[in-house]
Amino acid sequence: MSDAQILDRGYRRFEGERSGVGGAMRSVAWHTTRSILGLGRKARHKVFPIIVLVVAFVPAVAFLAISVLLGDLGEELRPEYWEFFGFAFVATIVFVALVAPEAIVRDQRDGMFAMYLSTPLSRWSYVASKVIAVLGTMSLVVLGPPVLWLLGYTFQSQGPEGFVDWFGVMGRLLLAGLIVCIVYTAVSLGVSSLTDRRAFASIAVVFVMLGASIVTNVLVDVAELAENWRVLDPLGVALEAAPRLFGDRSEEFATVSTWLVAAGCAGWTAFGAGLLVYRYRRLAAV
Amino acid sequence: MQFGQQRALDSLDVTVESGVTGLVGANGAGKTTFMSIVLGLRAPTSGALQVLGLDPAHRGAELRALVGYGPERNVFPDEMPASDFVKHLAEVRGMPRQEARGRASDALWLVGLGEERFRPLGTMSTGQRQRVKLAQAIAADPSLILLDEPTDGLDPVQRDEMLALIRQISAEYRIDVLLSSHLLEEVERICDHVVALDAGQLVAQGRLSTLVGTDEGVVVELVDVEDRPDALVQVIDALKQAGFDVRQDLGSFRFEVVGTDADAVADHVRDAVAQARARVRRIVRRRRRLEDLFEGARR
Repeated sequence: MSDAQILDRGYRRFEGERSGVGGAMRSVAWHTTRSILGLGRKARHKVFPIIVLVVAFVPAVAFLAISVLLGDLGEELRPEYWEFFGFAFVATIVFVALVAPEAIVRDQRDGMFAMYLSTPLSRWSYVASKVIAVLGTMSLVVLGPPVLWLLGYTFQSQGPEGFVDWFGVMGRLLLAGLIVCIVYTAVSLGVSSLTDRRAFASIAVVFVMLGASIVTNVLVDVAELAENWRVLDPLGVALEAAPRLFGDRSEEFATVSTWLVAAGCAGWTAFGAGLLVYRYRRLAAV
Repeated sequence: MQFGQQRALDSLDVTVESGVTGLVGANGAGKTTFMSIVLGLRAPTSGALQVLGLDPAHRGAELRALVGYGPERNVFPDEMPASDFVKHLAEVRGMPRQEARGRASDALWLVGLGEERFRPLGTMSTGQRQRVKLAQAIAADPSLILLDEPTDGLDPVQRDEMLALIRQISAEYRIDVLLSSHLLEEVERICDHVVALDAGQLVAQGRLSTLVGTDEGVVVELVDVEDRPDALVQVIDALKQAGFDVRQDLGSFRFEVVGTDADAVADHVRDAVAQARARVRRIVRRRRRLEDLFEGARR
């Protein structure tokens, strides 16, 4: 006869320490990250993030494969480290258009926002958790390819020479990626927060970011507005941070000063953050 | 509490004791506003509040870690399994991950959803969703739970079960409960204390047994006698002339006579019935109900 018993655990008091606001933020950020990447969800939710990640990493993997096969690509062929931010541009835009709506719009629709506010989270610590989750997942797409390229290139003994140089390049890559992620996160979250429908939010993000980019470039290239107006292109101005950190300039922003590029990045971030604050100040809690 | 020109709660001076407390009032009475102030989500325009010894306006996060909340809204993330939902909210309320997992499972068993715990919330009935709301409210071992209309949308059997669960949570697990309801009957059934609100103002508060415990007149039911069609009207008129408040259910031979001394009221009813040559089917002492508190306040 088995000794197995079914025990009634009943209700137990919790004597341990609660994790407080920090723990609540960690939990919401991790939950949101899993949701964005489709982890713990049905297969159909994983398809899109996987496709975007694959598309984002294709250029870096392709260049690494070529360099493994052919050796040093030479100055002519070898891309600059910062150019990989631009190579993953399409994947980044698609990802941006879907990540922010997934992160915050769903919570407004299904009542989770109100539920979260009944926990140690305030509306601002909730928003901060979402920002962390979106920044983290976006950095996979934005930072992943250039960092992979740097590591792969280093393993072939073709990367920066010396400890200091290597960390200098890595540090500038991380900082450039962080700037791109911050600008895109702020704008996409700000725009997404204005609606409680995910499809509308995605369309609005593309409309604002890609639309502003196209209009700005048409105005400068066709209507011959001053080059400085390019800072109104949210996609371009954020990406321009990367060459500036490496002491370089892209062709489009060649005559635009670094201070103006920084002001453009700050302006778009403030625009997105302003929308986010405006919206979340007004959202009903209970 | 004031929203622009609209005063949602006015001059509220309330003390809520341990046990189950019913926050009762019609829709728009200020119940949800009161709960949001208790949770620290709104600061009162003036005045002060202490919940579990903490000031919600200044120590809201600390307080909310100790409070479970079941909202009125019945909307959930449809694809999420019930166990994940309860576990996630327990974690957000401060439980370590493994502890949250175990407690989510236990809470769902306690509310009768053990077998259904892996089902997505979108596939659950209204009754099951109400139980999930209760489970997530208790999973993080709160000292107090706030339940906003916890029986909303339930059929009578489900309502009975939900009320029994709430009573059990308070009595067996020593968790204090503040539940809001516009249904006086369910508050009378399970609550130890009552806070009654009407249009943002306090109508009554205190132990339920104190508020409704005194005899307040009699309930009378007459026999419908064919040769005395006016008997009912004559009895009621006589009692009204004697100064009593008579409440009759429309088209019924049953009526209530309200008065402070049930024996004296019964004597007057007996005299009126004899005078009208009516016949009595039943005459019993009338217990004061919560409804009377509201009617008294409106008069």
